[in-house]
Amino acid sequence: MIVPQLRKKQRIILLALLMFICMTAIISMGTGYSSLSFERLMPVLLGEGTFKEQFVLFSIRLPRIAITLLAGMALALSGAILQVIMRNDLADPGVVGINAGAGVAVALFFLFIPIQATSFAYIIPLVAFCGALLTAILIYALSYNKQTGLQPIRLVLIGIGCATAFSGFMIVLVSGADRTKVDFIAKWLAGGIWGMDWAFVLALLPWLMTLVPFVLYKAHRLNVLQLSDPVAIGIGLSLDRERLALLLTAVALAASAVSVTGGIAFVGLMAPHIARALVGPRNELSLPVAMLMGGALLLLADTIGRNLIEPDGLPAGVLVSLIGAPYFVYLLWKKK
Amino acid sequence: MPRLYTEQLSVGYGERVIVDRLTVHIPDEKITTIIGPNGCGKSTLLKAMTRIIRHQEGAVILDGKQISQEHTKLLAQKMAILPQTPESPGGLTVGELVSYGRFPYQKGFGRLTKRDYEVIDWALEVTGTIDFKHRSVDSLSGGQRQRVWIAMALAQETNIIFLDEPTTYLDMAHQLEVLELLQRLNHEQKRTIVMVLHDLNQAARFADYMIAMKDGKIVQAGTCEQVMTPDVLRHVFHIDAEIGRDPRTNKPMCITYHLIKGDAKHVEKTNDVHSSFVRPHLECVR
Repeated sequence: MIVPQLRKKQRIILLALLMFICMTAIISMGTGYSSLSFERLMPVLLGEGTFKEQFVLFSIRLPRIAITLLAGMALALSGAILQVIMRNDLADPGVVGINAGAGVAVALFFLFIPIQATSFAYIIPLVAFCGALLTAILIYALSYNKQTGLQPIRLVLIGIGCATAFSGFMIVLVSGADRTKVDFIAKWLAGGIWGMDWAFVLALLPWLMTLVPFVLYKAHRLNVLQLSDPVAIGIGLSLDRERLALLLTAVALAASAVSVTGGIAFVGLMAPHIARALVGPRNELSLPVAMLMGGALLLLADTIGRNLIEPDGLPAGVLVSLIGAPYFVYLLWKKK
Repeated sequence: MPRLYTEQLSVGYGERVIVDRLTVHIPDEKITTIIGPNGCGKSTLLKAMTRIIRHQEGAVILDGKQISQEHTKLLAQKMAILPQTPESPGGLTVGELVSYGRFPYQKGFGRLTKRDYEVIDWALEVTGTIDFKHRSVDSLSGGQRQRVWIAMALAQETNIIFLDEPTTYLDMAHQLEVLELLQRLNHEQKRTIVMVLHDLNQAARFADYMIAMKDGKIVQAGTCEQVMTPDVLRHVFHIDAEIGRDPRTNKPMCITYHLIKGDAKHVEKTNDVHSSFVRPHLECVR
């Protein structure tokens, strides 16, 4: 029961987003600390560059672009699911404590477990993922009520409570720590993309490849979840089961993203919101739009942030908020 | 035995018992209305019968099987429910909302079949909402919206339809519009309709069978004549009512009523007077 015009509009928006992503990616490939000019892009891509040029493009910039895109998509999809499950437009992965949980895990690990620098980069995502997952499970266990099942409002409140508690705990952890370590943790929390290696792309890709089709398969169940509980039950949705399955999916998506990018908050909130404003509340239409939107946003933010302050750049998480906040204010203003 | 009945059904929240060991039979292909004061458990009974809330003891039986052991999608093909204040996400069109009524029949990705589209159009047609098909649900008036929700319940193609106060927040004309639609569905398609209504006269006028509840128990269940009596109303609502006949439908109705004050003796006395006032009962069920 979707009007053909709306389907057409959605296709056009998807196409526009894809083009935008391609353009941003090209700009991203040609800019940065190391010199690799736009004129040299084509030859290098075709394998005719110098060793240095090849290295910059294939081992630094391209993996970074891929990671940013994938992470943005995962965060957006996660946010879209959470906003439906919690029936709250302001929900995002941060609300179920994913950022805070991953942050505490990373901080604890970084401060107290001595490891070698070489293996370090690959263990951090694993630690962050476990931290996020454990936090989500804790929040779910606390908000589940035997009689009434999972109440969205309880989930939101307990989620926010846990996130705040974990943030507080992190301040306690960090306050007594060594300066350089604190610097790293702070940067991680601000969402600087730091997993810049094809290995991280490979860590992220399987999650997306399995979970994206799964979520699209569940799109019409998400539609029904947007109605109130009695209506959803009345038309035959197994409310608790679907909620749990989708919540776990959202957590896995966000945790996999956060584990390689650090705490990035705004994408999961904003991308689904913009998508719904563009193509309406039907999830089979809005989810793909939200995903591409999330990828595009994070890629844009990282490209700009990377080139703003040399040589370290501004964390993408900060930039996303800078890009996203004005749009969000505009949305709120338009609603009134 | 009717298709749907409860057996010693108890529902409560924590320690508080809302519905207390209640056994009730819902007559097939009839309109049943449940009346009772606020907090008497009528809505809770409706929710328990439609599995929206879990019951603690007893059972709800549909077609010889406990609903708690039946697959929820299968139940959704047998009974539909229109809750008190249903909500739809902003921007959803009428056609889209009604198409969700086909959920119990959908498999996989949830593509609508040709038959689904036919049922949706039929539901929109019957409820007189086909003209709004592509309009957003938010843009409709209360009465139109209620009819759209009924259309969604109809798209489920169930024999039994439950409604929890379907006329709340509607003006008189729209209340009648909704109730007459339900009556038509009952007459023409033999659908079993169970609803909670606040207005006693409406409840009596549209019902074949009435259930009066108080404190989680049934005070009286039966034909309108059996339930709409000064005795029952005094006991259930604590009102002193005079029952007459609706000159058009010949259904019993409260002509005038006031709150009972003073001691029990006085109540007994007024009751005697009114008993003689009531004319001989006519069978309510057509």
